[in-house]
Amino acid sequence: MLKPLLGSEAREKVLIFLLARERSYPSEIASFFEMSISQIQSQLDILENGGVLVSKLVGRTRMYEFNPQYAFLNELKALLEKALSFYPNAIQESLKMNRSRPRRRNKPL
Amino acid sequence: MKTVKDMTQLEIAAFICSHLKQHAIEVVLSGGALTSYYSNNKYVSKDVDLIDVYSVSRRKLISAMQEIGFVEKNRYFHHPDSEYIVEFPPGPLTVGDEIVKETYQVKFSTGFLTVMSPTDCVKNRLAAYYHWGDKPALAQAILVAKQRKVNIEEIEKWSHKEGKPKEFQVFKNMLS
Repeated sequence: MLKPLLGSEAREKVLIFLLARERSYPSEIASFFEMSISQIQSQLDILENGGVLVSKLVGRTRMYEFNPQYAFLNELKALLEKALSFYPNAIQESLKMNRSRPRRRNKPL
Repeated sequence: MKTVKDMTQLEIAAFICSHLKQHAIEVVLSGGALTSYYSNNKYVSKDVDLIDVYSVSRRKLISAMQEIGFVEKNRYFHHPDSEYIVEFPPGPLTVGDEIVKETYQVKFSTGFLTVMSPTDCVKNRLAAYYHWGDKPALAQAILVAKQRKVNIEEIEKWSHKEGKPKEFQVFKNMLS
């Protein structure tokens, strides 16, 4: 949807995912959109180097989120919000349905 | 002129700033090195953060830095004769959501260094505290505010615009 502007579908997916979930890691985003981790990782790197995202290690996982100090953050989020509203309802719903409650280790289901 | 090996952190920053200016690349000192400058070196860091105000092409930046012996590795620039690490965070030049309007030129034996005002330096450090809860950044903001004349009213207004009035009170209380 924003590919002509952003130059990459993977970049759009990364930004849309982070807009909906606030923070995430490469394999989660890649798995959600059924894309390769390397595709997603390279976009995360570009966005972090450009100051759009920031990351920090949580345990052994590098978590990414929007840089609250990015100069165009409000404008970017407004654009992404609009783009997200044009996504299929099923995707919008899945993006919003994020399990945040704990899950015991080794639980089969 | 001094060799890179003998340059202090700020002299290296000035050397790079002047060199890049010849290539029409505008950079402004920020982060820990700026805190060092305004705290009379009471705060020490090995980083040199120079905001690349107009976000020039990376290739142009790498090429210009290579001319003075700095090599890029993982987006950080190193010189074989120096312990300092140079980074160019992308512009625009802002503190939080606000554009920095005024900068100043400071003369060193190695060149001219462009810096923000002490008030903007405090805002820059406070932005890290406000958005990430970074306590060392708060301590740096206090250090600069105690060493230099800063406009507290302006910082308070800015803090309100950033949506951080309570956090500003923490800063103000620690100042007195």
